[in-house]
Amino acid sequence: MKKNISEKIWMFIKYIALILFTVMCLYPLFWLFLASFKTNQELYFNTWGLPESWSIVNYVNAVVKGGVVRYFGNSVVIAVSAVVVAVILGTMASYAIARMHWKMSKLVYNTFLLGMMIPIYGLIIPLFSIFKALGLLNTHWAVIIPQIALGFPMTIFIVCGFMRSIPRELEEAAVIDGCSALQCFMKVILPIAKSSVVTVAVVQFINIWNDLLLPRIFLTDSEKMTLPVGLTNFQAMYSTDYVGMIAAVIMTIIPSIIVYVLLHRQIMEGMVAGAVKG
Amino acid sequence: MNKVMGNKRSIAFFVLPALIIYAVFALFPIAYNIYMSLFNTDLMAKKQFVGLGNYIGLLKDGTFVHAFRNNIFMVIGSLIAHMPLAMFFANAIFKKIKGAAFFQTVFFLPSVICGVAVGLTWTFIYNGNYGLLNAFLKMIGLGSLQQVWLANKKLAMFCIIVVIMWQYVGYHMVIQLAAMRNIDSAYYEAAQIDGASGWKQFTNITFPLIKPILKIDAVLIITGSLKYYDLVAVMTSGGPNHATEVMSTYMYYQAFNILKYGYASAIGVILMILCMLSVALSNRVFKESDE
Repeated sequence: MKKNISEKIWMFIKYIALILFTVMCLYPLFWLFLASFKTNQELYFNTWGLPESWSIVNYVNAVVKGGVVRYFGNSVVIAVSAVVVAVILGTMASYAIARMHWKMSKLVYNTFLLGMMIPIYGLIIPLFSIFKALGLLNTHWAVIIPQIALGFPMTIFIVCGFMRSIPRELEEAAVIDGCSALQCFMKVILPIAKSSVVTVAVVQFINIWNDLLLPRIFLTDSEKMTLPVGLTNFQAMYSTDYVGMIAAVIMTIIPSIIVYVLLHRQIMEGMVAGAVKG
Repeated sequence: MNKVMGNKRSIAFFVLPALIIYAVFALFPIAYNIYMSLFNTDLMAKKQFVGLGNYIGLLKDGTFVHAFRNNIFMVIGSLIAHMPLAMFFANAIFKKIKGAAFFQTVFFLPSVICGVAVGLTWTFIYNGNYGLLNAFLKMIGLGSLQQVWLANKKLAMFCIIVVIMWQYVGYHMVIQLAAMRNIDSAYYEAAQIDGASGWKQFTNITFPLIKPILKIDAVLIITGSLKYYDLVAVMTSGGPNHATEVMSTYMYYQAFNILKYGYASAIGVILMILCMLSVALSNRVFKESDE
């Protein structure tokens, strides 16, 4: 009986901790959301309360003055093109590595995996000098190309892992029926591996969408900036328009939250699998 | 079978596009970076071979040493702050409580939000004039502690670690939770029959069995702390007066603010070596404990 009581107290403490952390996670975002409708004066004197009026003027400022929509568009262009190319080419390479017979496959696989250990700082300056020489600075290519190259290690790690678990017999049957390697890939393996490919694509999209360093270095023209750089630009240019900036932050966060609510299972799985290698 | 699946041309078709892009835009730059770190260059007219001069310069550069120390502070702070807290929450959620899925989803949420947005959100919270933290302190009667948090040299680094914790505890929790869910439930059933308490079950079953994942998690925290950029860049940009400078922000400063590319390359090489060292070191620890 005694034990029962101590377990109950322990349970109570656990719940308190869990609820406290839930509040800590969500309240700052909620506070920020409310603040995005306030005026700069209200922000000072009405920290906790609801905004006096639900005016969207801050959002209008963020869009018109801050150019948030343009940044948003740039982010979409860069993230979509990098993810599509990285995932298609990465999946093809995974297929050759996981399913086809050749001597160097192990070496190539390890070479790709090496990329998971290398921090971006080990290659950023040479990339800058390459893109400078090629005249690609301040073009979306300067961000898309490295994101593709750096997307391969994780794509190949996860997709290869999945493809290796598919039984050989499936392809053998297809080959006997006269399928070429490409047909085996498209008709047999890809449909089965689809879920792992989608997971990789979603996780990479989030990573590229959130990245600050590459676009900050390569895109200094505000016409070309992505959302994260745009936000830092906004911070520098309108440092006194706090509520305008808060509205811009909300507009950056909302799409991530929507995607997360829809796909949280895949996102969690993918982010964990991509990190926990071996 | 082998004729189709061993066909050299098909293999090249599948693997070469990715391999070429990867070699040109990832492998080559890594090698080139090491080469560049031996020069003094502004990428324009000036290019002068200095050998290991940049590295020697870094050792003597007080700001770099300070940035390195801040990274180490972040590594240790994050290890102490993330691991036990993540483990506590993971264990609490693992024990099939009500709302487990909800808590898991909410705790993980901050880690998918863009670092810049998180950093800005917390600059609003830490703000001296209208910030949430000061308002909260005033409300609970600790108004005397109110201050401009990020401008305080002593506290700024600590404030940043709190934000990293806010963003990533849920992430590490999910990693540990995945490991716990892989444990055979028969162990717990047997323990229950023997009347083992929750704490005993944790120390004798859960903890030893998730140890391998904890090591991986520790590596993630270490490399993550070494690489950190977004939050620091947004919240303090290394200030006040380089107090919160970390290696990544200092590298950015050297390269893109004062155009010392060779010097910045050397910082890049050091960062790369540190990350690879921590992975290699943990692999070794990992292997030893397997045997």
